[in-house]
Amino acid sequence: MAQAISPANIDNIPTIKISSPRDLEEYRQALLAASDPNAPRIVVCCGTGCQATGSVEVVEALKAAVEEAGWEGKVIPSLKKTGCHGFCSRGPLVIIEPMDLFYQRVKGSDAAEIVNLTLMKGEVIKRLQYKPADAKEPVAKSHDIPYYAKQTRIVLENIGKIDPFEIKDALVHGAYKSLAKALTEMSPAQVIEEVSISKLRGRGGGGFPTGLKWESCAKQAGTRYVICNADEGDPGAFMDRSLLEGDPHRVLEGMALTGYALGSHRGYVYCRAEYPLAVRTLTNAIRQAEELGLLGENILGTGFDFKLTISTGAGAFVCGESSALMSSLEGKVGRPRPKYIRSVEKGFRDSPSNLNNVETFANVPMIVEKGGEWYKSIGTERSTGTKVFALTGNVYNIGLVEVPMGTSLREIVYGIGGGIPNKKELKAVQTGGPSGGCIPIPKKFLDINVGFGKLAEVGSMMGSGGMIVMDEDTCMVEVARYFINFLVEESCGQCTPCREGLIRMVEILTRITKGQGREGDIEALQEIGEFTNNFSLCGLGTSAANPVFSTIKYFREEYEAHIYDKKCPAGVCKPLFHYEIDAEACTGCGLCRMKCPAKAIAGEKKKPHAIDQSLCIKCMECYRNCKFKSIRIL
Amino acid sequence: MKIVLNGKEVAAKEGQTILEVARANGVNIPTLCYVPALDAAAMCRLCTVELTEGRRTKLVTSCNYPLRRDAEIQTDTDALRNGRRLLIELLAPRCPDSVKLQELAAEYGANLKRFPESNQDCVMCGLCARVCERVGGRTLTLSGRGVEIHVDTAFGRPSELCIGCGACAQICPVNKIQVVDEDGFRRVIVRGQEASRIPLNKCTSCGKFFGPVISLSQVMANLGEEKVPPPNQSVCPECSRHNLAIRMAQRHFEQYELAPHETVEEV
Repeated sequence: MAQAISPANIDNIPTIKISSPRDLEEYRQALLAASDPNAPRIVVCCGTGCQATGSVEVVEALKAAVEEAGWEGKVIPSLKKTGCHGFCSRGPLVIIEPMDLFYQRVKGSDAAEIVNLTLMKGEVIKRLQYKPADAKEPVAKSHDIPYYAKQTRIVLENIGKIDPFEIKDALVHGAYKSLAKALTEMSPAQVIEEVSISKLRGRGGGGFPTGLKWESCAKQAGTRYVICNADEGDPGAFMDRSLLEGDPHRVLEGMALTGYALGSHRGYVYCRAEYPLAVRTLTNAIRQAEELGLLGENILGTGFDFKLTISTGAGAFVCGESSALMSSLEGKVGRPRPKYIRSVEKGFRDSPSNLNNVETFANVPMIVEKGGEWYKSIGTERSTGTKVFALTGNVYNIGLVEVPMGTSLREIVYGIGGGIPNKKELKAVQTGGPSGGCIPIPKKFLDINVGFGKLAEVGSMMGSGGMIVMDEDTCMVEVARYFINFLVEESCGQCTPCREGLIRMVEILTRITKGQGREGDIEALQEIGEFTNNFSLCGLGTSAANPVFSTIKYFREEYEAHIYDKKCPAGVCKPLFHYEIDAEACTGCGLCRMKCPAKAIAGEKKKPHAIDQSLCIKCMECYRNCKFKSIRIL
Repeated sequence: MKIVLNGKEVAAKEGQTILEVARANGVNIPTLCYVPALDAAAMCRLCTVELTEGRRTKLVTSCNYPLRRDAEIQTDTDALRNGRRLLIELLAPRCPDSVKLQELAAEYGANLKRFPESNQDCVMCGLCARVCERVGGRTLTLSGRGVEIHVDTAFGRPSELCIGCGACAQICPVNKIQVVDEDGFRRVIVRGQEASRIPLNKCTSCGKFFGPVISLSQVMANLGEEKVPPPNQSVCPECSRHNLAIRMAQRHFEQYELAPHETVEEV
């Protein structure tokens, strides 16, 4: 009987302390030689999203199935757990390499079939394949799926390819190449210069030119700190988490490069504690990089020291604000500091501190590797490079999307996102997290190019990259209420406008959604909103009213319908609407009657049904399920 | 450095705050959370002014904005007055009986009854917590977040760090902190809740209760005054004075019999 063949394995290469950039290249070559890109491999996404839908279980089942099968004369497929592939709504995701077969929504019970059919016999399991909304045939290869094919994945390049817990795998894919290059070929000033040329702007939301920030920090005297803001807290945003979970070395390398450029030897990653997987990945990544001599003391034998520490937050959204983050890092209460001094001059421990977002750091290695000019060629004149968005809400494909700056909303929502499910109309796109705004879509903005300037122009902002797609069943007053309420809970409470103003705004908005709105409410919202935006202490307060402003600006008639007509046109605010069955459209199929949990619908077969309003709990079941659009919101 | 305040050029030193310059020039900017002895917290935002540096005009809090270059400052524009009016209206429900807020309301035409009362007996200026950190036992602090932020002791329990100095009570602009000495204890009551309960020293000489039983070493260290000797905590200041008088009199005027304690007081 023929023996099974073990696949080429990088695990057999010992971990050594690498003492020069040339040794690093040799080590990388050895790793490359030990890894066969054409070996059969089962790649399972183990990002937080897929873990939540059961990918850990899938991994266990696949492992058992691989062990059970006989591989006489064949190479035993290896099993790889990667970070988030980005297509979270389809998880758990499994990719069979080298064929690049894409399986979605895989369950543990599918494991045996995957191993016995696909890997043994090369047969494709149709049931597990992905079929775009409007297509007849499923798409076989992951690279052909429109969701991936239409993206430009630069920052996310390695996520989904590498095992985030194995630095050798990251090295195979080119990690720490840029650091070696900078340490041997470039002066710190040249690194800053290259970043300035690239016109990279802060990805945390502010969009401040990164090169400029570095320059002013490098000029300061004293101990300088490099801090990574991984306190991502916007509802629905998970770009930074996926980066840290899927490709931690890219971020760490970016930080080390920043440290080199600024003459800093101390870095901190401030990661929110609600990201336990990211904290674990990072901790492991730092340890592995230190073992190999890629971080810590005397990096690659060049004499450059850079020590990194992880600090976890305690769940305050406001700690994403730079001065609050630094207070928290110092062990104090996470409240923004009332000081008119930039943190590049006096930040953490009153020393010059350079704070950048996770994604900003992740952009640095390739700028150093390929040059600022190359980077500048991507995106638009004023917003260069790519941006990762967390596409969520009422859109067919939910997940992480990386596109060049300047890509139109149409391309993101329809091209990549696959459009709006259930044949609904697109109503608005919310960007920029709770401080951003809602961009109304059918009106005129579907073709705006997403960039820092353009979004601000239409009353929203780039923010950290959350993008929530809203369909026609979304009530904009309720959206505004949701975001302001979020900020009320997350306000630190020290300054009057934010603490007292926002709660009054929520009171008014809640009143409106309950049908108790009165004349003057819109004006009061605008008055208080303007005040909080002007008088608050930190960025949270000075942008808090944006969701209210943008919804009033573009959807004023909806506010007015709530206040004056006591109607919620979208059918969300329960006291302000009721369902009625359009007798002409109703075919009497009885589906709504069967679905109604309150038994409020009655009617004979093939005859128009009717809703008993006294029993209806407005749960939306009938509305959602009716195939003939005969349920009306009145 | 050329500083123009409300259209008039004024003298200013580099690093001085706008508020300091304004007060030195007789320009009134209202404040709630500012006292010169403590670091500015810029919490109340009442002292917000309009600042033009270079081509940019922005709103800043005058209590903590250091002047470093040519600037034009407006302290009383319509927009600022409107903002202050709304600020007072928003603060009023917390502490409707505050005289200070009533005065400000009159000045800015604020409707104190615009929003429903919540009666928290506190305008959240944070002064008590800051003064406690500076000169007291670091007992009071701002606890909680957002609308729930409030002045409290650690874990909401009566604190053992309090030195009963009463600075919090003295600084509170709405007089909602009391220091009560009774039954041999000093109690600090913050908004109706006991923040600390410290036994009082009983004078070994006259038997009266006086200052609280405390260790001042940490407080003196906070103030950078480690070398100041600890006070005598066994005899009340009156008896201490009286006893010293006796000793001095006996040394210099041996022939005189001194009158007893009470009579000295009467004299």
